[in-house]
Amino acid sequence: MSEEHKAVTGTELEELTFKQASEELEAIVRELEGNQLELEESLIRYERGVALMRMLQSRLQGAQQKVSVLLGQIEPESDDSIDTSLS
Amino acid sequence: MSEPLSVSQALSLAKGSLEKLSATIVGEISEYSDKPGYKAVYFTITDKSAALPCMMWRSAFDKLEIALKQGTLVEVSGFFSVYIAKGRMNFSAQTMRLAGEGDLRLKVAQLARKLEAEGLMSPARKLPLPEMPGRIAVVTSPRGKAIHDVMRTLRRRFPLAEVQVVGVPVEGEAAPKALIEGIEVAQRAQSDVILLVRGGGSYEDLMPFNDEALARAIAASRVPIVTGIGHEPDNSIADMVGSYRASTPTAAAEHVVPDIRDLKVKLEEQSRSLSAALSNRVGRMDSILASIRSRALFADPLFMVGGYLQNLEQSAQRLFVAVPNALRSDIHRVEMLRGRLARVASTLFSPQQSKLQLLAAQLESLSPLAVLARGYSIAYDAKGHVVDSVSTIDLGDVLDVRVSDGEYHCRVETKNQIDRVGSDLETDADE
Repeated sequence: MSEEHKAVTGTELEELTFKQASEELEAIVRELEGNQLELEESLIRYERGVALMRMLQSRLQGAQQKVSVLLGQIEPESDDSIDTSLS
Repeated sequence: MSEPLSVSQALSLAKGSLEKLSATIVGEISEYSDKPGYKAVYFTITDKSAALPCMMWRSAFDKLEIALKQGTLVEVSGFFSVYIAKGRMNFSAQTMRLAGEGDLRLKVAQLARKLEAEGLMSPARKLPLPEMPGRIAVVTSPRGKAIHDVMRTLRRRFPLAEVQVVGVPVEGEAAPKALIEGIEVAQRAQSDVILLVRGGGSYEDLMPFNDEALARAIAASRVPIVTGIGHEPDNSIADMVGSYRASTPTAAAEHVVPDIRDLKVKLEEQSRSLSAALSNRVGRMDSILASIRSRALFADPLFMVGGYLQNLEQSAQRLFVAVPNALRSDIHRVEMLRGRLARVASTLFSPQQSKLQLLAAQLESLSPLAVLARGYSIAYDAKGHVVDSVSTIDLGDVLDVRVSDGEYHCRVETKNQIDRVGSDLETDADE
Protein backbone atom coordinates (compact mmCIF):
# COMPACT_ATOMS: atom_id res chain seq x y z
CA MET A 1 0.00 0.00 0.00
CA SER A 2 1.37 3.42 -0.91
CA GLU A 3 2.00 6.05 1.75
CA GLU A 4 -0.62 8.27 0.22
CA HIS A 5 -3.16 5.53 0.35
CA LYS A 6 -2.36 4.80 3.95
CA ALA A 7 -3.00 8.43 4.77
CA VAL A 8 -6.51 8.18 3.35
CA THR A 9 -7.78 4.91 4.71
CA GLY A 10 -5.17 3.83 7.21
CA THR A 11 -6.47 5.89 10.11
CA GLU A 12 -6.40 3.95 13.32
CA LEU A 13 -9.81 2.48 13.96
CA GLU A 14 -10.08 3.84 17.49
CA GLU A 15 -9.66 7.39 16.20
CA LEU A 16 -12.66 7.16 13.92
CA THR A 17 -16.08 8.31 15.00
CA PHE A 18 -18.91 5.90 14.45
CA LYS A 19 -20.09 7.97 11.52
CA GLN A 20 -16.64 8.16 9.90
CA ALA A 21 -16.15 4.44 10.30
CA SER A 22 -19.53 3.55 8.86
CA GLU A 23 -19.01 5.94 5.95
CA GLU A 24 -15.66 4.35 5.22
CA LEU A 25 -17.21 0.90 5.41
CA GLU A 26 -19.96 2.01 3.03
CA ALA A 27 -17.34 3.34 0.61
CA ILE A 28 -15.38 0.08 0.77
CA VAL A 29 -18.49 -1.97 0.03
CA ARG A 30 -19.27 0.28 -2.93
CA GLU A 31 -15.72 0.03 -4.22
CA LEU A 32 -15.70 -3.74 -3.95
CA GLU A 33 -19.07 -3.95 -5.62
CA GLY A 34 -17.85 -1.63 -8.33
CA ASN A 35 -15.34 -4.35 -9.20
CA GLN A 36 -12.80 -1.90 -10.56
CA LEU A 37 -10.05 -2.69 -8.10
CA GLU A 38 -7.05 -4.89 -8.60
CA LEU A 39 -7.45 -8.18 -6.83
CA GLU A 40 -4.69 -7.33 -4.34
CA GLU A 41 -6.34 -4.00 -3.60
CA SER A 42 -9.69 -5.78 -3.20
CA LEU A 43 -8.21 -8.01 -0.55
CA ILE A 44 -6.71 -5.06 1.29
CA ARG A 45 -10.03 -3.23 1.21
CA TYR A 46 -11.85 -6.32 2.32
CA GLU A 47 -9.60 -6.70 5.34
CA ARG A 48 -10.08 -3.07 6.23
CA GLY A 49 -13.83 -3.44 5.77
CA VAL A 50 -13.96 -6.42 8.08
CA ALA A 51 -11.96 -4.55 10.71
CA LEU A 52 -14.26 -1.54 10.46
CA MET A 53 -17.30 -3.76 10.69
CA ARG A 54 -16.08 -5.56 13.81
CA MET A 55 -15.25 -2.26 15.42
CA LEU A 56 -18.66 -0.80 14.59
CA GLN A 57 -20.43 -3.90 15.82
CA SER A 58 -18.56 -3.92 19.10
CA ARG A 59 -19.29 -0.24 19.58
CA LEU A 60 -22.97 -0.85 18.99
CA GLN A 61 -23.03 -3.81 21.35
CA GLY A 62 -21.20 -2.06 24.14
CA ALA A 63 -22.63 1.44 23.76
CA GLN A 64 -23.49 3.13 27.06
CA GLN A 65 -25.20 6.46 27.03
CA LYS A 66 -22.96 9.20 28.32
CA VAL A 67 -24.67 12.14 29.97
CA SER A 68 -23.05 15.41 30.88
CA VAL A 69 -24.94 18.20 32.59
CA LEU A 70 -23.93 21.62 31.39
CA LEU A 71 -26.61 23.64 33.21
CA GLY A 72 -29.14 22.90 35.95
CA GLN A 73 -29.70 19.78 37.90
CA ILE A 74 -31.78 16.91 36.60
CA GLU A 75 -34.49 15.81 38.93
CA PRO A 76 -35.16 12.11 39.04
CA GLU A 77 -38.14 11.06 37.02
CA SER A 78 -41.40 10.72 38.85
CA ASP A 79 -42.91 7.27 39.11
CA ASP A 80 -45.28 7.49 36.22
CA SER A 81 -43.15 7.32 33.14
CA ILE A 82 -45.66 8.34 30.53
CA ASP A 83 -44.09 9.92 27.47
CA THR A 84 -44.93 13.54 27.05
CA SER A 85 -45.63 12.59 23.50
CA LEU A 86 -48.76 10.93 24.81
CA SER A 87 -49.78 13.56 27.31
CA MET B 1 -105.31 54.73 25.30
CA SER B 2 -103.38 55.14 22.10
CA GLU B 3 -104.07 53.26 18.91
CA PRO B 4 -102.51 49.79 18.72
CA LEU B 5 -99.20 49.70 16.83
CA SER B 6 -98.43 47.71 13.75
CA VAL B 7 -95.74 45.06 14.15
CA SER B 8 -93.35 47.19 12.21
CA GLN B 9 -94.07 50.19 14.31
CA ALA B 10 -93.63 48.19 17.51
CA LEU B 11 -90.31 46.75 16.44
CA SER B 12 -89.10 50.11 15.24
CA LEU B 13 -89.89 51.45 18.65
CA ALA B 14 -87.98 48.67 20.34
CA LYS B 15 -85.07 49.06 17.92
CA GLY B 16 -84.88 52.77 18.74
CA SER B 17 -84.75 52.07 22.45
CA LEU B 18 -82.29 49.20 22.24
CA GLU B 19 -79.83 51.06 20.07
CA LYS B 20 -79.29 53.53 22.86
CA LEU B 21 -77.96 50.62 24.87
CA SER B 22 -74.27 50.18 24.12
CA ALA B 23 -71.95 47.65 25.76
CA THR B 24 -68.58 45.84 25.64
CA ILE B 25 -69.08 42.10 25.92
CA VAL B 26 -66.69 39.14 26.20
CA GLY B 27 -67.86 35.81 24.90
CA GLU B 28 -66.83 32.73 23.03
CA ILE B 29 -67.84 32.37 19.44
CA SER B 30 -70.17 29.37 19.13
CA GLU B 31 -71.28 29.73 15.54
CA TYR B 32 -70.56 32.10 12.74
CA SER B 33 -71.34 32.86 9.12
CA ASP B 34 -68.63 34.65 7.21
CA LYS B 35 -69.67 34.39 3.59
CA PRO B 36 -67.93 36.53 1.02
CA GLY B 37 -70.37 38.77 -0.80
CA TYR B 38 -72.52 39.36 2.28
CA LYS B 39 -72.50 42.85 3.64
CA ALA B 40 -72.06 41.65 7.21
CA VAL B 41 -70.66 38.73 9.16
CA TYR B 42 -72.96 37.00 11.63
CA PHE B 43 -71.86 35.15 14.75
CA THR B 44 -73.10 34.13 18.13
CA ILE B 45 -71.18 34.70 21.34
CA THR B 46 -71.90 32.63 24.37
CA ASP B 47 -70.99 32.03 27.93
CA LYS B 48 -72.04 29.10 30.06
CA SER B 49 -75.70 30.04 30.19
CA ALA B 50 -76.47 32.59 27.52
CA ALA B 51 -76.12 33.19 23.80
CA LEU B 52 -76.16 36.48 21.92
CA PRO B 53 -76.49 36.72 18.14
CA CYS B 54 -74.19 39.37 16.73
CA MET B 55 -73.49 41.02 13.42
CA MET B 56 -70.68 43.20 12.20
CA TRP B 57 -70.47 45.14 8.98
CA ARG B 58 -67.93 43.58 6.69
CA SER B 59 -66.25 46.93 6.02
CA ALA B 60 -65.32 47.06 9.71
CA PHE B 61 -64.67 43.34 10.16
CA ASP B 62 -62.21 43.02 7.27
CA LYS B 63 -59.87 45.56 8.85
CA LEU B 64 -59.43 43.40 11.94
CA GLU B 65 -57.60 40.45 10.37
CA ILE B 66 -59.40 38.13 12.73
CA ALA B 67 -60.43 34.72 11.48
CA LEU B 68 -63.70 33.71 13.09
CA LYS B 69 -63.39 30.33 14.71
CA GLN B 70 -65.59 28.36 16.97
CA GLY B 71 -64.39 28.66 20.57
CA THR B 72 -62.44 31.86 20.04
CA LEU B 73 -62.82 34.25 22.93
CA VAL B 74 -63.62 37.71 21.64
CA GLU B 75 -64.37 41.09 23.06
CA VAL B 76 -66.96 43.07 21.11
CA SER B 77 -68.13 46.65 21.57
CA GLY B 78 -71.32 48.04 20.05
CA PHE B 79 -75.01 48.30 20.75
CA PHE B 80 -78.08 46.17 20.81
CA SER B 81 -80.45 46.27 17.89
CA VAL B 82 -83.45 44.55 16.36
CA TYR B 83 -83.71 42.90 12.99
CA ILE B 84 -87.16 44.11 12.17
CA ALA B 85 -87.94 41.65 9.37
CA LYS B 86 -87.63 38.73 11.77
CA GLY B 87 -88.29 40.50 15.03
CA ARG B 88 -84.99 39.31 16.39
CA MET B 89 -82.77 41.04 18.80
CA ASN B 90 -79.07 41.11 18.05
CA PHE B 91 -75.90 42.90 18.98
CA SER B 92 -74.32 45.13 16.41
CA ALA B 93 -70.57 44.96 16.97
CA GLN B 94 -68.62 48.03 15.96
CA THR B 95 -65.22 46.74 17.07
CA MET B 96 -63.95 43.33 17.93
CA ARG B 97 -60.68 41.99 19.33
CA LEU B 98 -59.48 38.65 20.50
CA ALA B 99 -59.66 38.22 24.23
CA GLY B 100 -57.47 36.10 26.53
CA GLU B 101 -55.55 33.38 24.68
CA GLY B 102 -57.08 34.61 21.48
CA ASP B 103 -55.31 37.86 22.04
CA LEU B 104 -52.03 36.08 22.67
CA ARG B 105 -52.49 34.06 19.53
CA LEU B 106 -53.10 37.17 17.52
CA LYS B 107 -49.91 38.75 18.85
CA VAL B 108 -47.98 35.56 18.12
CA ALA B 109 -49.43 35.43 14.63
CA GLN B 110 -48.39 39.01 14.05
CA LEU B 111 -44.83 38.26 15.25
CA ALA B 112 -44.75 35.21 13.07
CA ARG B 113 -45.70 37.31 10.06
CA LYS B 114 -43.02 39.84 10.89
CA LEU B 115 -40.28 37.22 11.28
CA GLU B 116 -41.39 35.44 8.17
CA ALA B 117 -41.22 38.70 6.24
CA GLU B 118 -37.63 39.02 7.48
CA GLY B 119 -36.90 35.61 6.02
CA LEU B 120 -36.18 33.92 9.35
CA MET B 121 -38.42 30.99 8.46
CA SER B 122 -37.09 30.49 4.97
CA PRO B 123 -36.26 26.83 4.26
CA ALA B 124 -32.90 28.00 2.89
CA ARG B 125 -31.93 29.16 6.39
CA LYS B 126 -32.58 25.82 8.00
CA LEU B 127 -29.39 23.95 8.83
CA PRO B 128 -29.06 20.33 7.77
CA LEU B 129 -29.17 17.84 10.63
CA PRO B 130 -26.20 15.58 11.29
CA GLU B 131 -26.78 11.98 10.32
CA MET B 132 -25.18 10.56 13.43
CA PRO B 133 -24.60 13.26 16.04
CA GLY B 134 -21.85 12.58 18.51
CA ARG B 135 -23.10 15.18 20.99
CA ILE B 136 -26.71 16.12 21.49
CA ALA B 137 -27.58 19.07 23.69
CA VAL B 138 -31.02 19.12 25.28
CA VAL B 139 -32.18 22.57 26.26
CA THR B 140 -35.18 22.09 28.48
CA SER B 141 -36.39 22.09 32.02
CA PRO B 142 -34.32 19.84 34.30
CA ARG B 143 -37.60 18.96 35.92
CA GLY B 144 -40.49 17.20 34.34
CA LYS B 145 -40.92 14.44 31.85
CA ALA B 146 -39.49 16.05 28.77
CA ILE B 147 -35.81 15.62 29.69
CA HIS B 148 -36.36 12.00 30.67
CA ASP B 149 -38.36 11.24 27.57
CA VAL B 150 -35.52 12.61 25.49
CA MET B 151 -32.79 10.74 27.37
CA ARG B 152 -34.73 7.49 27.29
CA THR B 153 -35.37 7.82 23.59
CA LEU B 154 -31.75 8.62 22.81
CA ARG B 155 -30.56 5.74 24.99
CA ARG B 156 -32.89 3.34 23.27
CA ARG B 157 -32.20 4.48 19.73
CA PHE B 158 -28.62 5.68 19.71
CA PRO B 159 -26.66 5.20 22.93
CA LEU B 160 -23.46 6.16 21.08
CA ALA B 161 -24.27 9.85 21.33
CA GLU B 162 -23.31 11.89 24.35
CA VAL B 163 -26.24 13.75 25.84
CA GLN B 164 -25.50 17.25 27.08
CA VAL B 165 -28.19 18.40 29.43
CA VAL B 166 -28.81 22.15 29.56
CA GLY B 167 -31.41 22.57 32.25
CA VAL B 168 -33.19 25.94 32.22
CA PRO B 169 -36.55 27.24 33.35
CA VAL B 170 -39.03 27.05 30.51
CA GLU B 171 -41.95 28.92 32.04
CA GLY B 172 -42.44 32.40 33.32
CA GLU B 173 -40.98 35.73 32.46
CA ALA B 174 -37.35 34.68 32.88
CA ALA B 175 -37.74 31.70 30.61
CA PRO B 176 -36.96 33.33 27.22
CA LYS B 177 -33.65 34.73 28.49
CA ALA B 178 -32.75 31.42 30.12
CA LEU B 179 -33.57 29.53 26.93
CA ILE B 180 -31.37 31.88 24.89
CA GLU B 181 -28.53 31.34 27.36
CA GLY B 182 -29.08 27.58 27.17
CA ILE B 183 -28.72 27.65 23.40
CA GLU B 184 -25.48 29.61 23.73
CA VAL B 185 -24.12 27.15 26.29
CA ALA B 186 -24.93 24.26 23.97
CA GLN B 187 -23.18 25.93 21.05
CA ARG B 188 -20.10 26.58 23.16
CA ALA B 189 -20.09 22.92 24.20
CA GLN B 190 -19.82 22.02 20.51
CA SER B 191 -23.01 20.10 20.27
CA ASP B 192 -23.78 18.60 16.90
CA VAL B 193 -27.46 19.29 17.33
CA ILE B 194 -29.62 21.04 19.93
CA LEU B 195 -32.98 19.77 21.10
CA LEU B 196 -35.18 22.61 22.34
CA VAL B 197 -38.05 20.86 24.03
CA ARG B 198 -40.75 21.05 26.65
CA GLY B 199 -43.77 19.03 27.49
CA GLY B 200 -47.31 20.02 26.75
CA GLY B 201 -49.01 22.90 28.53
CA SER B 202 -51.56 25.60 28.03
CA TYR B 203 -51.07 28.11 25.28
CA GLU B 204 -50.02 30.62 27.89
CA ASP B 205 -47.50 28.16 29.37
CA LEU B 206 -45.84 27.90 25.99
CA MET B 207 -45.58 31.64 25.49
CA PRO B 208 -41.83 31.82 26.25
CA PHE B 209 -41.30 29.86 23.03
CA ASN B 210 -43.05 32.64 21.17
CA ASP B 211 -40.54 35.20 22.34
CA GLU B 212 -39.02 37.36 19.65
CA ALA B 213 -35.51 37.41 21.12
CA LEU B 214 -35.52 33.64 21.49
CA ALA B 215 -36.72 33.32 17.91
CA ARG B 216 -33.80 35.43 16.74
CA ALA B 217 -31.34 33.42 18.84
CA ILE B 218 -32.64 30.19 17.34
CA ALA B 219 -32.45 31.55 13.81
CA ALA B 220 -28.87 32.72 14.42
CA SER B 221 -27.65 29.45 15.94
CA ARG B 222 -24.67 27.83 14.21
CA VAL B 223 -25.84 24.47 15.46
CA PRO B 224 -29.08 23.07 14.04
CA ILE B 225 -31.96 23.27 16.51
CA VAL B 226 -34.75 20.74 16.56
CA THR B 227 -37.84 21.79 18.48
CA GLY B 228 -40.34 19.59 20.28
CA ILE B 229 -42.59 21.96 22.13
CA GLY B 230 -45.96 21.10 23.65
CA HIS B 231 -47.95 18.94 21.35
CA GLU B 232 -49.97 19.18 18.18
CA PRO B 233 -51.52 21.34 16.96
CA ASP B 234 -49.69 24.05 18.85
CA ASN B 235 -47.06 25.71 16.77
CA SER B 236 -44.74 28.14 18.42
CA ILE B 237 -42.51 30.75 16.85
CA ALA B 238 -39.52 28.67 18.01
CA ASP B 239 -40.89 25.77 15.95
CA MET B 240 -41.05 27.97 12.90
CA VAL B 241 -37.50 29.34 13.02
CA GLY B 242 -35.76 26.14 14.09
CA SER B 243 -34.11 23.72 11.66
CA TYR B 244 -36.73 21.06 12.18
CA ARG B 245 -40.00 20.96 14.05
CA ALA B 246 -41.01 17.81 15.87
CA SER B 247 -44.35 17.65 17.63
CA THR B 248 -43.08 16.38 21.01
CA PRO B 249 -39.80 15.99 22.93
CA THR B 250 -39.78 12.28 22.20
CA ALA B 251 -40.40 12.88 18.50
CA ALA B 252 -37.59 15.43 18.47
CA ALA B 253 -35.16 12.93 20.03
CA GLU B 254 -36.22 10.26 17.56
CA HIS B 255 -35.69 12.56 14.66
CA VAL B 256 -32.08 13.48 15.38
CA VAL B 257 -30.62 9.98 15.70
CA PRO B 258 -30.71 6.81 13.69
CA ASP B 259 -32.14 3.72 15.32
CA ILE B 260 -29.41 1.39 16.55
CA ARG B 261 -31.49 -1.58 15.38
CA ASP B 262 -31.45 -0.18 11.84
CA LEU B 263 -27.71 0.35 12.17
CA LYS B 264 -27.23 -3.25 13.25
CA VAL B 265 -29.31 -4.49 10.34
CA LYS B 266 -27.41 -2.24 7.98
CA LEU B 267 -24.11 -3.46 9.37
CA GLU B 268 -25.16 -7.04 8.79
CA GLU B 269 -26.15 -6.17 5.25
CA GLN B 270 -22.82 -4.48 4.73
CA SER B 271 -21.08 -7.51 6.12
CA ARG B 272 -22.85 -9.69 3.58
CA SER B 273 -22.20 -7.22 0.77
CA LEU B 274 -18.54 -7.11 1.73
CA SER B 275 -18.17 -10.88 1.55
CA ALA B 276 -20.30 -11.13 -1.57
CA ALA B 277 -18.35 -8.39 -3.29
CA LEU B 278 -15.04 -10.06 -2.54
CA SER B 279 -16.13 -13.53 -3.55
CA ASN B 280 -17.61 -11.97 -6.65
CA ARG B 281 -14.31 -10.29 -7.32
CA VAL B 282 -12.37 -13.52 -6.81
CA GLY B 283 -14.96 -15.49 -8.75
CA ARG B 284 -14.73 -13.13 -11.69
CA MET B 285 -10.94 -13.33 -11.57
CA ASP B 286 -11.26 -17.11 -11.55
CA SER B 287 -13.51 -17.18 -14.58
CA ILE B 288 -11.17 -14.80 -16.37
CA LEU B 289 -8.33 -17.19 -15.59
CA ALA B 290 -10.43 -20.12 -16.76
CA SER B 291 -11.20 -18.43 -20.02
CA ILE B 292 -7.52 -17.60 -20.48
CA ARG B 293 -6.59 -21.16 -19.68
CA SER B 294 -9.01 -22.50 -22.25
CA ARG B 295 -7.68 -20.30 -25.01
CA ALA B 296 -6.05 -22.04 -28.01
CA LEU B 297 -2.73 -20.55 -27.04
CA PHE B 298 -2.55 -22.90 -24.08
CA ALA B 299 -4.53 -25.75 -25.61
CA ASP B 300 -2.50 -26.03 -28.85
CA PRO B 301 1.29 -25.98 -28.59
CA LEU B 302 1.59 -24.91 -32.21
CA PHE B 303 -0.86 -22.06 -31.68
CA MET B 304 1.73 -19.42 -31.23
CA VAL B 305 3.98 -20.41 -34.15
CA GLY B 306 1.14 -21.77 -36.26
CA GLY B 307 0.46 -18.46 -37.81
CA TYR B 308 4.07 -17.89 -38.71
CA LEU B 309 4.33 -21.39 -40.03
CA GLN B 310 1.40 -20.87 -42.27
CA ASN B 311 2.79 -17.59 -43.47
CA LEU B 312 6.08 -19.21 -44.15
CA GLU B 313 4.45 -21.95 -46.17
CA GLN B 314 2.50 -19.48 -48.13
CA SER B 315 5.62 -17.46 -48.80
CA ALA B 316 7.47 -20.54 -49.96
CA GLN B 317 4.59 -21.44 -52.20
CA ARG B 318 4.57 -18.02 -53.67
CA LEU B 319 8.30 -18.14 -54.13
CA PHE B 320 8.06 -21.43 -56.07
CA VAL B 321 5.57 -19.92 -58.38
CA ALA B 322 7.21 -16.58 -58.61
CA VAL B 323 10.72 -17.69 -59.68
CA PRO B 324 9.80 -19.61 -62.90
CA ASN B 325 7.34 -16.90 -63.67
CA ALA B 326 10.01 -14.31 -63.36
CA LEU B 327 12.39 -16.43 -65.43
CA ARG B 328 9.82 -16.89 -68.10
CA SER B 329 9.34 -13.28 -68.45
CA ASP B 330 13.11 -12.76 -68.46
CA ILE B 331 13.52 -15.27 -71.26
CA HIS B 332 10.81 -13.63 -73.16
CA ARG B 333 12.46 -10.31 -72.69
CA VAL B 334 15.83 -11.64 -73.78
CA GLU B 335 14.29 -13.08 -76.88
CA MET B 336 12.63 -9.87 -77.68
CA LEU B 337 15.93 -8.11 -77.23
CA ARG B 338 17.68 -10.60 -79.42
CA GLY B 339 15.11 -10.05 -82.15
CA ARG B 340 15.51 -6.37 -81.84
CA LEU B 341 19.26 -6.69 -81.84
CA ALA B 342 19.17 -8.77 -84.96
CA ARG B 343 17.06 -6.24 -86.67
CA VAL B 344 19.24 -3.46 -85.47
CA ALA B 345 22.37 -5.37 -86.56
CA SER B 346 21.07 -5.83 -90.08
CA THR B 347 20.29 -2.22 -90.39
CA LEU B 348 23.67 -1.44 -88.90
CA PHE B 349 25.59 -3.39 -91.55
CA SER B 350 23.48 -2.87 -94.60
CA PRO B 351 25.07 0.40 -95.73
CA GLN B 352 28.54 -1.16 -95.63
CA GLN B 353 27.24 -4.26 -97.36
CA SER B 354 25.82 -2.43 -100.29
CA LYS B 355 28.99 -0.41 -100.56
CA LEU B 356 30.90 -3.65 -100.53
CA GLN B 357 28.75 -5.11 -103.27
CA LEU B 358 29.33 -2.03 -105.31
CA LEU B 359 33.02 -2.33 -104.78
CA ALA B 360 32.85 -6.00 -105.67
CA ALA B 361 31.04 -5.16 -108.87
CA GLN B 362 33.62 -2.54 -109.67
CA LEU B 363 36.34 -4.96 -108.82
CA GLU B 364 34.84 -7.57 -111.05
CA SER B 365 34.62 -5.23 -113.93
CA LEU B 366 38.27 -4.54 -113.50
CA SER B 367 39.17 -8.20 -113.28
CA PRO B 368 41.30 -9.44 -116.15
CA LEU B 369 39.07 -12.44 -116.14
CA ALA B 370 36.26 -10.26 -117.32
CA VAL B 371 38.43 -9.14 -120.15
CA LEU B 372 39.22 -12.72 -120.87
CA ALA B 373 35.53 -13.43 -121.00
CA ARG B 374 35.34 -11.09 -123.92
CA GLY B 375 37.82 -13.34 -125.81
CA TYR B 376 41.14 -11.96 -124.65
CA SER B 377 43.85 -14.18 -123.27
CA ILE B 378 46.92 -13.68 -121.17
CA ALA B 379 50.16 -15.37 -121.87
CA TYR B 380 52.65 -16.14 -119.09
CA ASP B 381 56.26 -17.14 -119.71
CA ALA B 382 57.91 -19.96 -117.91
CA LYS B 383 58.75 -17.72 -115.15
CA GLY B 384 55.13 -16.68 -114.77
CA HIS B 385 55.58 -13.19 -116.19
CA VAL B 386 52.84 -11.80 -118.37
CA VAL B 387 54.12 -11.64 -121.92
CA ASP B 388 53.32 -8.18 -123.03
CA SER B 389 55.92 -7.80 -125.69
CA VAL B 390 57.41 -10.03 -128.34
CA SER B 391 60.75 -8.84 -127.31
CA THR B 392 60.63 -10.79 -124.14
CA ILE B 393 60.14 -14.09 -125.76
CA ASP B 394 62.18 -16.26 -127.96
CA LEU B 395 61.16 -18.73 -130.51
CA GLY B 396 60.62 -22.09 -128.99
CA ASP B 397 59.62 -20.72 -125.58
CA VAL B 398 56.79 -22.46 -123.98
CA LEU B 399 54.08 -20.11 -122.82
CA ASP B 400 51.07 -20.64 -120.64
CA VAL B 401 47.99 -18.97 -122.10
CA ARG B 402 45.08 -18.11 -119.90
CA VAL B 403 41.57 -17.82 -121.34
CA SER B 404 38.28 -17.27 -119.64
CA ASP B 405 37.55 -20.84 -118.85
CA GLY B 406 41.05 -22.36 -118.58
CA GLU B 407 44.62 -22.39 -119.94
CA TYR B 408 46.76 -24.16 -122.44
CA HIS B 409 50.46 -24.56 -123.30
CA CYS B 410 51.83 -23.39 -126.55
CA ARG B 411 55.20 -22.94 -128.18
CA VAL B 412 56.36 -19.82 -129.89
CA GLU B 413 57.05 -20.63 -133.53
CA THR B 414 57.13 -17.23 -134.91
CA LYS B 415 57.20 -13.77 -133.77
CA ASN B 416 56.71 -10.38 -135.34
CA GLN B 417 57.27 -6.99 -134.03
CA ILE B 418 54.37 -4.70 -134.88
CA ASP B 419 54.34 -1.01 -134.78
CA ARG B 420 52.24 -0.05 -131.87
CA VAL B 421 50.69 2.93 -133.53
CA GLY B 422 47.46 2.06 -135.29
CA SER B 423 47.97 -1.60 -135.38
CA ASP B 424 46.95 -4.57 -133.32
CA LEU B 425 49.30 -6.98 -131.87
CA GLU B 426 49.31 -10.13 -133.82
CA THR B 427 50.45 -13.24 -132.39
CA ASP B 428 50.64 -16.52 -134.16
CA ALA B 429 50.02 -19.26 -131.87
CA ASP B 430 49.39 -22.97 -132.03
CA GLU B 431 47.28 -24.76 -129.75
